[in-house]
Amino acid sequence: MLSTSEVVRSRLLAREGGEEVYELFIGPQHPSSGHMRFIVRLDGDVIVSVDPDIGYVHRTMEKLAEGREAVKAIPLLERMTIIDSHNVTIGLVRAMEKLLDVEPPPRARYLRTLLSEINRIASHLYGIGIAGIMLNHSTMFMWAFGDREVWLQLAEELSGARLTHTYSIPGGVRRDLPQGFADRAEKAVRYMTRRLEEYAKIFLENPQVRSRYEGVGVLKKGEASRLGIVGPNLRASGVKYDARLAEDYAAYSEVSFEVPTLEEGDAYARMRLRIEEIKQSMSIILQVLRKVPEGPIFAEKYLKLLPPKLREQVLSTGRVKLPALFASMKLPAGEAVARAEMGHGEIFYHLISDGSAKPYRLRVVTPSFRNVILFRYLMPGHRFMDFPAIYGSLDYFPPEADR
Amino acid sequence: MGLLEWVLELLLSPQVFAPVVFPGLVTALVVLLTIIWAERKIAARVQMRVGPLYVTRRFGGVLQMLADGTRYMFQEFIIPETSDKGFFVFAPVLALAAAILPFAFIPAAPGFAPVKHPLAALGVLASLSAAPLAVLLMGWSSGNKFAIQGAVREAFMTLAYEAVVFLSVLAMGMLYGTLDLEEAVYRQVIPGLLLNPISAFTFFVGMVMSAGRLPFDIVEGEQEIVAGPYVEYSGIVFGIGMGLAYLKLYAFSLLFSILYLSGWEPLLPIYSVYPPLGGLMLFVKAYAVMLFVAFLRSVYGRYRLDQALRAGWRIFLPLALASVMFSAFVKVVVYG
Repeated sequence: MLSTSEVVRSRLLAREGGEEVYELFIGPQHPSSGHMRFIVRLDGDVIVSVDPDIGYVHRTMEKLAEGREAVKAIPLLERMTIIDSHNVTIGLVRAMEKLLDVEPPPRARYLRTLLSEINRIASHLYGIGIAGIMLNHSTMFMWAFGDREVWLQLAEELSGARLTHTYSIPGGVRRDLPQGFADRAEKAVRYMTRRLEEYAKIFLENPQVRSRYEGVGVLKKGEASRLGIVGPNLRASGVKYDARLAEDYAAYSEVSFEVPTLEEGDAYARMRLRIEEIKQSMSIILQVLRKVPEGPIFAEKYLKLLPPKLREQVLSTGRVKLPALFASMKLPAGEAVARAEMGHGEIFYHLISDGSAKPYRLRVVTPSFRNVILFRYLMPGHRFMDFPAIYGSLDYFPPEADR
Repeated sequence: MGLLEWVLELLLSPQVFAPVVFPGLVTALVVLLTIIWAERKIAARVQMRVGPLYVTRRFGGVLQMLADGTRYMFQEFIIPETSDKGFFVFAPVLALAAAILPFAFIPAAPGFAPVKHPLAALGVLASLSAAPLAVLLMGWSSGNKFAIQGAVREAFMTLAYEAVVFLSVLAMGMLYGTLDLEEAVYRQVIPGLLLNPISAFTFFVGMVMSAGRLPFDIVEGEQEIVAGPYVEYSGIVFGIGMGLAYLKLYAFSLLFSILYLSGWEPLLPIYSVYPPLGGLMLFVKAYAVMLFVAFLRSVYGRYRLDQALRAGWRIFLPLALASVMFSAFVKVVVYG
């Protein structure tokens, strides 16, 4: 029979390579684990290893998308990253457009850019807010989530839905710019510019926050590219890669913007980079509002399918009613790949069609799925309390990784 | 003498009034309820949110905490199978007792302490430093990995802040030439805060650390270790765990007001009407200190454990030692 102390030991400690370490199972029921589990091994207060264990929100979206008409994959796959739902599907729409050989009209491309950037800001604010609460900085959490509402409202005005926009469809966008949108967007930009300064004061330049972030979770440049990291996490390590530049989609080739990069690669750099990206996104929004050309928002090819009366209505109201044929549209046989830049990083689509209305195979590689490996590489050697700090700075979104 | 008068006299005697009504149990409970409400209101103001308004909307939801407390009361108290059951139940009781005990030494007004003792300040600190032991017991007897992590953190933090707090009080004791809290108020020619600002600062930091308030709420560490030592507790016992920090904060704030803010001075000819009325002034001061500590929540996040320990040992301990020396200097100059 074991003595009491042996029982306690056996409960608390795990043996790993002849050494005894303290094993903690963080999640899936834990205030900050997200929908996943981490197996954290501690030596005293120092993290020895972290195993990210994903799969708790797996919804077989790729498989589900193969069972329905191609267009219906858009509202389905939006749910992967519901906080960034336009950026997550614009890659899919691009892949479908490549298969169908249809180009959206210029106005539609600009409108796509507009919603993408609004989404990116909302997504970054979400990330910053979560990072704040991971340090128990509830003010940052509430501020970021409160200000996110400003952008959600703009997105709602533009697309008609608060979170699941389903805005881009093959051949264009579903709705035109509403009346007076430019004024409200400019007001939002002015408001956000002011707020970003306040964020800096209370969060980024707060000595307490800096001491938690600086030099913590350093991702070296070489390591970042070796591990295939994407998005702000990559750019904070000094690699200037952005799918908006690499892949020509929406109107990104027609607006001028910078891709901010930072060299440090620590948690603090990742947080600062998000703020810089929000500034760039706001500048893109202003440019788009100035430059957006007049014209149709839906490809002529599909507009012709509509009965004349409905076509008139679509052209006059700026709201696309999809023709019935559109829903069961056959994708020509072939393959298409497309990339897009989400708030979290690059998303990659591989669409294979055998010529039926349903895709034969739809493969998605999401940014969070590529970034989840960082938990294993960044954590060891840090204090246990750095765990949430690094987690927050990675802007990792479990449902997106699980699909 | 009628029964009623006898009861009234008993109730108003210092030995009963102080521990039961002010600053003891009843006031502590009211403070507990209102400070949590105030904290939520302050945070709500900064964070652009509403704060508690579900109950008594007209009064800003002041009864919300009472409603929450009632809910806690009727929640099931679960004793985990793997816990050390006897200690698991006993530890919160011990913690609460240790947190209430200091009020026996704190004078509410001149001559209004249940235990008037030349070492009253030491008594307050000694009973307050018993509470972490109970928290340690809570964590260990839970048999939960997160709880044990929290308990270990409590042990670390206790060692780090207690030396600081004790030294700060020692500095004031040297300055006033007494550890009797009532005497200490009389000996403040000007508030202790101005007499020895270093000691006031280190005491304040030690107080924030001890009460587990931001930026030092490391023991509870919601984001890593869920609620630390309290993770397995449910219902009203979890409420005790939560209230414990606030009770400690209240006791420390009273001590701070007495030692550094000249207690119930200035004013008050109304002592002559009824001595505890002087306690109102003390209460206002202590409450203001608590509100300031509550406000820190809206400004700071949480320091890392090793950072807090390093600050405790490398910055605040030397500062506290310096405050002792400073006291010796001031004692010569001011009290001569």
